[in-house]
Amino acid sequence: MKVRDRNNVVEHGPPDARPIVFAHGFGCDQNMWRYVWPEFAGDHRVVLFDHVGAGRSDSRAFDPQRYSSLGGYADDVLEICRSLELTDVVFVGHSVSAMIGVLAAGAEPDRFGGLVLVGPSPRYVDDDGYVGGFTRADIDGLLDAMDSNYLGWSSTMAPVIMGNPDRPELGRELTNSFCQADPEIARHFARVTFLSDNRADLARVITPSLILQCAQDAIAPEVVGDYVHRRLANSQLQRLHATGHCPNLSAPEETVTAIRAFLASEH
Amino acid sequence: MSTDDGERLDDTAEELFEDAPCGYLATRIDGTIVRVNRTFESWTGLSRDALLAGIRFQDLLSPGGRIFHETHYAPLLLMQGSVQEVAFDIVGADGSLLPSLVNSVVRTGPSGSAHLIRTTVFDATDRRRYEQELLRSRRREQEIAQELQRSMLAGVLPRAPGLDIEVGYHAAERGLDIGGDWYDAFWLSDDHTAGLVVGDVVGRGIHAAAAMGQLRSAVRALASTGLGPADLLSALDGYAARHGVGWMTTLVYAELNLQSGRLRFACAGHPPPVIAAPGEKPQFAWDGRSLPLAAHMQAGRHRAEATRALTPGTTVLLYTDGLIERRDRPLDAGMTDLLGALADPGPDGEPLTSRLIRTLDGPAPDDDVCLLAARLGGSG
Repeated sequence: MKVRDRNNVVEHGPPDARPIVFAHGFGCDQNMWRYVWPEFAGDHRVVLFDHVGAGRSDSRAFDPQRYSSLGGYADDVLEICRSLELTDVVFVGHSVSAMIGVLAAGAEPDRFGGLVLVGPSPRYVDDDGYVGGFTRADIDGLLDAMDSNYLGWSSTMAPVIMGNPDRPELGRELTNSFCQADPEIARHFARVTFLSDNRADLARVITPSLILQCAQDAIAPEVVGDYVHRRLANSQLQRLHATGHCPNLSAPEETVTAIRAFLASEH
Repeated sequence: MSTDDGERLDDTAEELFEDAPCGYLATRIDGTIVRVNRTFESWTGLSRDALLAGIRFQDLLSPGGRIFHETHYAPLLLMQGSVQEVAFDIVGADGSLLPSLVNSVVRTGPSGSAHLIRTTVFDATDRRRYEQELLRSRRREQEIAQELQRSMLAGVLPRAPGLDIEVGYHAAERGLDIGGDWYDAFWLSDDHTAGLVVGDVVGRGIHAAAAMGQLRSAVRALASTGLGPADLLSALDGYAARHGVGWMTTLVYAELNLQSGRLRFACAGHPPPVIAAPGEKPQFAWDGRSLPLAAHMQAGRHRAEATRALTPGTTVLLYTDGLIERRDRPLDAGMTDLLGALADPGPDGEPLTSRLIRTLDGPAPDDDVCLLAARLGGSG
């Protein structure tokens, strides 16, 4: 299976410009970047993709073994970069994909020129003096909430979506389709995301990094952003006025401005 | 307007809002509540003053629900301008949970930018209880079917100096329902002939698992009477029809005599066995074929069977269609790939069945795959 199809890779902008790869987090798909990527398509090679199991990726490529840790998702990012022959990559990762970018940059530092971490958290569950913001019971509660919400997904609609990858409009007609996912894969991704501990991986990264921290972010509170900043050697921390966990949707201008300023300072 | 006994029928808009049979809220884009109706106050046990003191809607959710709100609900609302039928538990003043269904729409201002969210909250207590019961019973059925399948595929395979039997089972990745594929191998009463079976019951889940178990036992019982492959399938047709089980099941049944090297087989609508003799190209055995089980009930018609004389070192492979059939590969390509994979010796030490599953099936198969390889000992 081609990486491009597996991860529904979509490109915009001049192919010889500096590549900027946008990675969506747990929950929705590459549409999360719809208000942000167009601002970079003039002077960057914009690369968007869906993690396996999300959006219009090929769920048949889902292998519980490979994706039993965030490392499997980081391998996918590296495979995308290799197959498109990207170098000096700016990787912009939202939520769990911030840590996926940390893992990828730790594994192949030469490939990455900059990391933008939007709402990163290396460990969601509180742990012996460490504050992640959640308990194990909270994560079980999330799995229950997911069980009650098969967004846009039922066994009758799934074949329509899955069997017609060449007709994306079929998926779009469904309500809540930007956040639809195969429920089994989504549960698996939720567990891997929220029960992982990638604190030790922060020390392996030397790539210049920008941490974007929102106010009142229930998923990645400020104390976690501060922790990432302390542990990530070459990082800047910027607090946004935006509230919540998705500044890429709720405050795209502020997000774009912050990323642009970071890229200008690095080059 | 009024009823016959003078009751007023014209609810004011204010009354409709305040006492609607659903909770009604208006919030800022960040979720901060700016307006709320009386129904919502009474359902949550929180006063209007408390609710309007800077609380965000997501603050009223259970922690798990709050994560779902941030990762699904809020982004969807900002992307598509509305969200429908999302289930949340709302935490009341006394800590009790109100299972609810929530709908929201974004109100845009004159400039087109989002500035307000209107949300309705419906009491879904009974509906949620019912859904949870359905989920529970579905999980239980899956567990039973898996246990049933495990117990039936866990038997001891025949072992002898002149015979190597390997089996493989690779469950489909999609869905939790088990399939009705099975393999089996056992000694016939002469103690030097092995009965070999691979079959595929139509359907999935507990019914398929139960049917598979019945047919598996029936094949063993019929084989012990010395019927031979074709007559065994005919008798199995009768069994299937009499007991209403396993209609359209496909299977291949073979008897391998270790002393003579003689292989007798009969194939009921099943993919053909592959015979791989040392130094020769592997080949499909296209003879000894007839229709699937119980699709073949015209009186007087007999099942076909075929015979091969195997040389030492020859492998007979029986398998289900999942091995060669995949959505992204035409059937004939899958069959060509199977012959190619059998001809290729592969890395040392890897069992044949694992290698075939790895090379042909990929990591996430659409269908279950079940296979059995029997190698006649001796040279080669």
